[in-house]
Amino acid sequence: MLLRKAFAVLMMSTCLAGAADACELKIGVPGPLSGPATQWGLALRGAVEFVAAEAMQQQLIKENGQACKITVIPFDSKYSAEGAAAAVNSFAADGIKVVIGPVGSPEVTGTKPLAMRNHMIVMLNSFAKDSIGPQWPNVFHIGPGPSGWASPIIQVAKEMYKFDTALIVAPNDQGGTDIASVNAQAFAANGVKVTQEYFQRGTTNFAPIIARIMNAAPGAVDLASTPGGDAGIIVKQLRQAGFTGPILRLGGAGYPEIKRVAGGDEVLKDFVWYEPIYMTDQLQAVDAQYEKLMGGQRPENADFFRWLFASRMVMKAIANAGTLTDADKIAAELRKLPVSDPDGGEGHWIGKKFFGINQELSFPFAIGRVQNGKLLPLLRHDAVSEN
Amino acid sequence: MDGIITAGLIGVSLGAQYALLALGFTLIFGILGVVNFAHGGFYVLGGYLTYYFSASLGLPYALALLLAVLGSGLLGYLLETLILERVIKDSQSTLMVTLGFYLIMTTAFVVTFGPEAPQFPFPVTGVWRHGGVYFPYANLIVLMVSLLAIVFVYWLVYRTNVGRSLRAMSEERQVASALGMRTKTLFPFAFALATGLAGLTGGLVTPILSLTPHIGDPVLATSFLIVILGGLGSVTGATVAAFIVGMVEAYSAVYLGGSKGALALFLLVLVVLVVKPSGLMGKEARKA
Repeated sequence: MLLRKAFAVLMMSTCLAGAADACELKIGVPGPLSGPATQWGLALRGAVEFVAAEAMQQQLIKENGQACKITVIPFDSKYSAEGAAAAVNSFAADGIKVVIGPVGSPEVTGTKPLAMRNHMIVMLNSFAKDSIGPQWPNVFHIGPGPSGWASPIIQVAKEMYKFDTALIVAPNDQGGTDIASVNAQAFAANGVKVTQEYFQRGTTNFAPIIARIMNAAPGAVDLASTPGGDAGIIVKQLRQAGFTGPILRLGGAGYPEIKRVAGGDEVLKDFVWYEPIYMTDQLQAVDAQYEKLMGGQRPENADFFRWLFASRMVMKAIANAGTLTDADKIAAELRKLPVSDPDGGEGHWIGKKFFGINQELSFPFAIGRVQNGKLLPLLRHDAVSEN
Repeated sequence: MDGIITAGLIGVSLGAQYALLALGFTLIFGILGVVNFAHGGFYVLGGYLTYYFSASLGLPYALALLLAVLGSGLLGYLLETLILERVIKDSQSTLMVTLGFYLIMTTAFVVTFGPEAPQFPFPVTGVWRHGGVYFPYANLIVLMVSLLAIVFVYWLVYRTNVGRSLRAMSEERQVASALGMRTKTLFPFAFALATGLAGLTGGLVTPILSLTPHIGDPVLATSFLIVILGGLGSVTGATVAAFIVGMVEAYSAVYLGGSKGALALFLLVLVVLVVKPSGLMGKEARKA
């Protein structure tokens, strides 16, 4: 009897030891999974989960010759600084060193100090003026914000609609004001006189703001980084109020949700926006790959692809670094990698001019247009370069 | 001048929607003594039920809205009968129960309908214009239905025996019960009426704004603000406060901007509460 018990204990400890030895890469994914910015969070989570599955299938991440399990740990950071700080604290408690996300400026403000203190590498997105910087050496940016693409989009819109005044409408927190000020510079650089209009985040009925916009009688309206759901309501109410000028969206992806909430392309009427991706056949094939690997459709937000390219870059850096936990080594490998993706094409490392550090990925992007209620083909734009 | 009229129309429209919401909230507090933290959830439920019946099942919008009101009312009835009734005497328990129920509702919406806003347009489009003044027909319909619903609630509360019983119970529950008024019937009815009103507001308003699982959070905050301003438990106070809030919100946002406008509203509430802590038409202390 005693012998049998001893054997059982031995077997259990062998099993547990085996489990402890199996290598596992845990990736923390903070992002909004509730509220009006949910689409951005879903795009992030979907892309990281897909890249993790892809890497496991290819046995890309190994430790001592053994393929590692990759676990993605999402956390709803609610598009807020405190939500993101809670996420990073939770990741630190789990021993996570690799973080992909978050998506918005308030979240990034809550993420960076805690990530630095806990020696993490972070690949994030935000259009804040201090998204990355020399003081956060292990923080990388998935792509340029409006500082990179606002100007080309304004030029396209001006060719189509000939306006010389614009009004930027945005939430009155860092996520709104940072982008609005960058967009304002881009408008001014293109000879457009610009005013800014802010609203309290959490506003559900924008009718009073719309009345204010109508009083200002701008030639064009820029929705800046207003979350897709709110932007859709603003567009709908602007058109109801009789605004006939073009509406621009210079603060990030979100066309499908804006269109859905507003009520379709006929309500958008004249709409020009930043589209993170110029869809090619190769990129369209990702949909089928995603469905095969993940058993469902990919998140519809086009930011999915930016996260896809960035996550693949991080995964390659981890594989090259040969460590799952040394953030400095992984960051060093990431800096060495050429900006390239099998589906996204070739790009550049940029960011030195705007942020003071060359840690921003830049891939080709596109400009979307709805004219007179009709969706036009996307315009391709080369990856922004600082050379 | 056009701007002043437009802001006034926006204010009346907002006020009517807020009144509909706040009436339910204040009815539940006045009669049952329960601060219903799930009130925003019933607003969202009304929106999703209307969306489901009209967009998914293809029913006419008006019928879908009616079914949504009945559905919201029924769920409120069941919540009161099966759960709240057991803890009705403990205000902290009722607070936790309604808050928990709201979280369950929100999660259920996310699981059932997904976190993203569906395409759910109001069936009537078009805008009435006169010079620089405009008013979307959808808002006009919402305003009319809201006003009718408010009149119905007033008729019910002040002109029927059921309403008299409800008011008696809100004044002195034990005496009302001793006189033969049945709390086991009237409490669930009052709760169903209130949640039905929240569902009606959701079914009316979400197609002209947007419908997402978490849209109940600001709705709850606004309802709370209005009933505190009007006086907790006061039907007339909630109605008056709703229109004041709507007008202040509209004029301050139009003339001061989105940020300062929000500040003006809270300053107003602060001043009113300093001058009259029980709210505009509240009583010094609840007896129920």
